[in-house]
Amino acid sequence: MRATCFLVLAACCLGSLPALAQGGGRTEVSIEHTATAVLKTDLRVGDFRGLGDDRGVQETAARLREVLANDLLLSGLFRVGGPGFPDKELPFSWTTEATVERGSDGVLVVNLNLLSWPDRQLVLTKRYKPAPEQVRTTAHHFANEVVRTTTGSEGIALTRIAFSRGRGDRRDIYVVDYDGEGLLRLTANRTLNLCPDWSPDAARIAFTSYRGGQQGLYFLETATGAVRQVLSMEGLNLGADWSPDGKELLISLSKSGDPEVYRITPEGAIVKRLTVSPAIEISPSWAPNGRELVFTSDSSGTPQLYMIDREGAGKRRVTFEGKYNDSATLSPSGEWLAYATREDVLTQIVVMRPGGEDRRIVTDASWRNCEDPSWAPDGRHLVFASDKSGTSKLYVYDVVENGFRQLTFGNDPDITPGWSH
Amino acid sequence: MKNGSLSRLWLVVLALALALAVLGGCSKKPPVVTEPAPVEQAPVEKIAEAPKPEPVQPKGPDYENLEPSKYGIEDVFFGYDKYELDDAQMGVLNRNARILKEAGVTVMVAGHCDERGTIEYNIALGEKRAKIVRDYLVSLGVAPGKVKQTSYGESRPFNAGHTEADWAQNRRAHFERP
Repeated sequence: MRATCFLVLAACCLGSLPALAQGGGRTEVSIEHTATAVLKTDLRVGDFRGLGDDRGVQETAARLREVLANDLLLSGLFRVGGPGFPDKELPFSWTTEATVERGSDGVLVVNLNLLSWPDRQLVLTKRYKPAPEQVRTTAHHFANEVVRTTTGSEGIALTRIAFSRGRGDRRDIYVVDYDGEGLLRLTANRTLNLCPDWSPDAARIAFTSYRGGQQGLYFLETATGAVRQVLSMEGLNLGADWSPDGKELLISLSKSGDPEVYRITPEGAIVKRLTVSPAIEISPSWAPNGRELVFTSDSSGTPQLYMIDREGAGKRRVTFEGKYNDSATLSPSGEWLAYATREDVLTQIVVMRPGGEDRRIVTDASWRNCEDPSWAPDGRHLVFASDKSGTSKLYVYDVVENGFRQLTFGNDPDITPGWSH
Repeated sequence: MKNGSLSRLWLVVLALALALAVLGGCSKKPPVVTEPAPVEQAPVEKIAEAPKPEPVQPKGPDYENLEPSKYGIEDVFFGYDKYELDDAQMGVLNRNARILKEAGVTVMVAGHCDERGTIEYNIALGEKRAKIVRDYLVSLGVAPGKVKQTSYGESRPFNAGHTEADWAQNRRAHFERP
């Protein structure tokens, strides 16, 4: 591997990481609350040149540079520096450069390049012709290319988060880019809409709505905004979760009298009922292998997490600590299980190994109530809702660096986020 | 305090009345005589046989358009994370069942929870509360089709506060118009 990597011990917040000692191409940065060793690649964001006097061209070049640098920082995989950054000089392994010009047909032409540093060998070049509203997407796309080329991982720069915004029983489904930009409202039906969950191909968002007074499962086509009802059984039609292959969903239905977990097809046909008990069984979530699932049951007297296989067999209890555990979700790599736990009065976010090891409560009382964690496809970031500001808003947690950033703003409460895959 | 503000109110009323009397006394406008406008008589059609007046039914309350609390239906309250009925709650529901059967009205039982806990679990908990109330009413002879149920979980609290007293108000099965 030609990238010079730096060993960075978990930082408390994303941002500047003080380099203390250097030697043998690796820098060990010791910071309090050390937990996990992190490898970071030093990447330079170089010249993004607009060719010609065209103001649109100059602005596009500046915007591309800003969005790309932010994407690379938010990935958690890089220390980013270069001209105009606090870190002008780092022991860079790579640099990115771009030219923007206006073609003879008036369309913007963007060339984005990744080069090795300091020897400046061209490693990757991409040419885009973005419409003015596609400039951010262009930067996100190239950011993912850079992440893939330099680290071998899949980037999250093109992912989005769907969530429910509003008050009382008037809450609508919204979507926002993973970096907090591009907020869009997707429903406007004057009722309660919540628990959005993306299909693996991001073509559809499943959500629970009270349209028509009765709870139902609905799909929203992300390309057109069209909404259709998939299921509206008597009682709960709550908290659908797409299977990793997109062929089925898990959902909690109470048509039998009590909330139970079912597998259904995207057409709304029941494949199999997976739980049978007089208690509450809700919040089902697939394991990334699609063979197991985690869910919540209060059959022991308090809500606790359990796992079963896709046929409903092999039930085992996952949580033994805490009197209230819910909203579990396994990271896409299967490495981590995140869920919400009640500590005294407040609900907090827990991250632990699926076997129960390495359990840590990642939020504290200063975060007040935290709910509904949802993993990014990188298995490193998760989004959750917290009312620390007095209103429930969404925050992103970096499980590797133990850092947080606020994703959504404004006065209306934001709840039940779902990260696209 | 209360007496003080009341007497002040009386003073204001008295002052206004005096002012009106004085103004009225001062104005020396000639009395305006309004002539009654001629009333156009609609031609009365000759009806061979006048319809007989229907016997007037003693009309009860318009149940379908009233919030159930307006005709004596009471909500049922629950303990923290509880969805069982105790004797007191059953007593309330016995009275509710009698009223509902007499009125023959359709109602919605909506389960509500306090803000503690998670969104989804609270919706399930509210569903359980609504269901046990509905089941009990049906067991008392209320027609199943006359009681609908839903759950709002923690999303529609009755009290916005964060004290145990507020939470106790928010943990309920609420009767509403469907």
